[in-house]
Amino acid sequence: MPADPFGLLRDLAEMPERGLRNLIGQPRIRLAVTGLTRAGKTVFLTAMVANLLAAGRGRRTLPQLEQAAGGRLRGVRLVPSASEALPRFDVEAHLAALAADPPAWPGRTDDLSTLEVTLDLERGSSLGSLLGGLIGRRTVTLELLDYPGEWLLDLPMLDQDYAEWSAEALRRLRRAEASTAAHEFLAWAEALPAGTAADEALARRGHALYRDALRECRDRLGFRFLQPGRVLNPGPRGETPLLWFFPLPHPRGGGLAGLLAERHAAYVAAQRADFFEPFFRRFDRQVVLVDVLGALHAGQAAFEDTAEALAAIAGALRHGGGWLDWLTGAGISRIAFAATKADHVPARQRDALAALLGHLVAGPQGRAGEAGVPTSVHALASLRCTQDDVAMLDGRPVAAVRGLLLANGRSAKVYPGEIPLRPPEPGFWEHGFFEMPEFQPPRLDAAGGSGVPHLGLDALLAALIGDLL
Amino acid sequence: MSDSPKGPRVILEEPAPRLDFQWEQAVVPVAVPAPRARWSGLGRVAAGAAVLGLGLAALDAANFVVDQFGRGPVQGWATLGVVGVGFGLLAGGAWRELRSLAALRAVDRARVAFARQDLETARAEALRWAGGVAEAASLQPALRQAGSTEELRALLEGGPLRLLDAEAAGLGRVAAVQAFSITAISPSPGLDALVFAWRGVRLVRQVAALHGLRPGLAGTFALLRRTLFDAATVAATDVAVDAAARALLSNKLLEQFAGEAAAGAVAARRMLRLARVAAEACRIVPPLR
Repeated sequence: MPADPFGLLRDLAEMPERGLRNLIGQPRIRLAVTGLTRAGKTVFLTAMVANLLAAGRGRRTLPQLEQAAGGRLRGVRLVPSASEALPRFDVEAHLAALAADPPAWPGRTDDLSTLEVTLDLERGSSLGSLLGGLIGRRTVTLELLDYPGEWLLDLPMLDQDYAEWSAEALRRLRRAEASTAAHEFLAWAEALPAGTAADEALARRGHALYRDALRECRDRLGFRFLQPGRVLNPGPRGETPLLWFFPLPHPRGGGLAGLLAERHAAYVAAQRADFFEPFFRRFDRQVVLVDVLGALHAGQAAFEDTAEALAAIAGALRHGGGWLDWLTGAGISRIAFAATKADHVPARQRDALAALLGHLVAGPQGRAGEAGVPTSVHALASLRCTQDDVAMLDGRPVAAVRGLLLANGRSAKVYPGEIPLRPPEPGFWEHGFFEMPEFQPPRLDAAGGSGVPHLGLDALLAALIGDLL
Repeated sequence: MSDSPKGPRVILEEPAPRLDFQWEQAVVPVAVPAPRARWSGLGRVAAGAAVLGLGLAALDAANFVVDQFGRGPVQGWATLGVVGVGFGLLAGGAWRELRSLAALRAVDRARVAFARQDLETARAEALRWAGGVAEAASLQPALRQAGSTEELRALLEGGPLRLLDAEAAGLGRVAAVQAFSITAISPSPGLDALVFAWRGVRLVRQVAALHGLRPGLAGTFALLRRTLFDAATVAATDVAVDAAARALLSNKLLEQFAGEAAAGAVAARRMLRLARVAAEACRIVPPLR
């Protein structure tokens, strides 16, 4: 995000509080859970909070995190609501829905919600332990945010004016696969002469065609780099005139281009003020969730589109390392990349999944590394839904996973194909589009007293916040 | 790898019950060894300073006593008496401070045991606590027979803790009346704050004593920290009520009529709240959240 003098002042104003909190051993950490749409942010947050609360009750749900904490975790609690203007992330409701019969996965997130979790820890040093009764335990408060993944793709728009954005958006839509979904919009837009007069009917028509093209790209082709995010997920206020803009082949000048440029500028300003500045300007730790398997199965174009989207988001975030970040203590200090839905592949392929993600995020990872930010790559299933099994295919046994299908409750063995260790060769894509079936969550305690089964969540949290404990 | 089937496949089977990983059994708590404390640099410095200060003082005193015995038995015995009483008082004070801190840590242990549903530790802590609190002494046989932490909690909440809460509220009311009266007649806001702080500290100590904690200086400090922390986090809902009360009482019109009495009412209300939060901080059972 571009430097904002007022943001810098706010960062400076936060310095004393951050310093004091660190000094007395009560840091507050803003954990950004970033992920493209359907990457599993809501399930990740639900599983993380449920397992942290269970670990606070002594359950061994997160062994690697406990190990990182040196066995000093004494309790975990949700911070009671005060007077926040945002909805509270409803862990209980999500858990209840997952445990219900029939179960339901969280729906598409269409608004922001927040939650704070506090970890109580015994002090580590002898002096701290001696003074523990006097000055209290160490506490680490995690600030969490859930939001629609589509909105994250607006982050790169903050640095672009309407003409630059139009050129980029049209370039992506004109790629072979996307152009089949967007041909109607592209034909209509390219037919508009330069200097077309500003007309509301034209603007509405163009917006409707563009919106349909984006939806088609997302739902049928598995594309993720689709802007603006609020066109796909307008949020609780629904569609407003602010959203009625779309890219034009002749984006400069007055008339219709001028009207759309005005709306584009207003949209970017609103997203900056309402979403990015309050929540994404400053955070300390970042977890990037990527549905690698979904992208792999959606085909070469979707896979490359996902990589491009991740690079664009990473390029727009502050990674610390600059002198201003050093001065204000702002910037990200650790990043964990996670390939979600790792339970959809058998155990022996999970390393390959993580390796493939490593290649996919090599750019953002390298950039973070240059800024001195430690990174790690994980294969993760926030909520494990399958067991490893063996399937017979073409007369030969192959490693597969078995789970219950959400749609009809039938048991199914799924062979996910060979997961390549690096971005695949062209021949890999010959099998065409495959949509991984949705599995039912396993039997769960609706109250979440023992957390939820997962794969790799403890390793991810240990890498992400273990140094704070 | 090249022999593997090319693309993904789904092989459908019959309907089946939901998967069950036996997660609840897999993650049951186990007794973990207490974490080893690390000696930080600052810890070593503090420990070294304490050893040098106390050790050298003790050696100095011992040498002095020996010297005094050289001068004559009367001087020797008198010096030994003075040194013994002096060090005895110091040790007694330190012992009392440590005991008061240990009592607070026992409350923490009990709360953690209740939160983790660790029945044995919770029962042991509850029995130890009941042995030192008159209101809970008669409950000990029932506590010994409790079969779950919920049962223990119900026994404690239904009996002694309810009584102690009522007594704490009574102490709070007395403190509130005093705070109201003093604030209403005091000549300066500075004196108000001083009186409020003194009365608040006394109230917290009184409430702690009800719960079997007899805090010394360090214990009082620790208790005040806990109380303030709880006031800031646990009683979040109360913030709104407090804000409403303050808004009402700082209403211009009301201020005109009530004058200093409005400030006194706020001080009294804070005292009542302090009693409630102090009682919350001293309970061996964690609040249900």
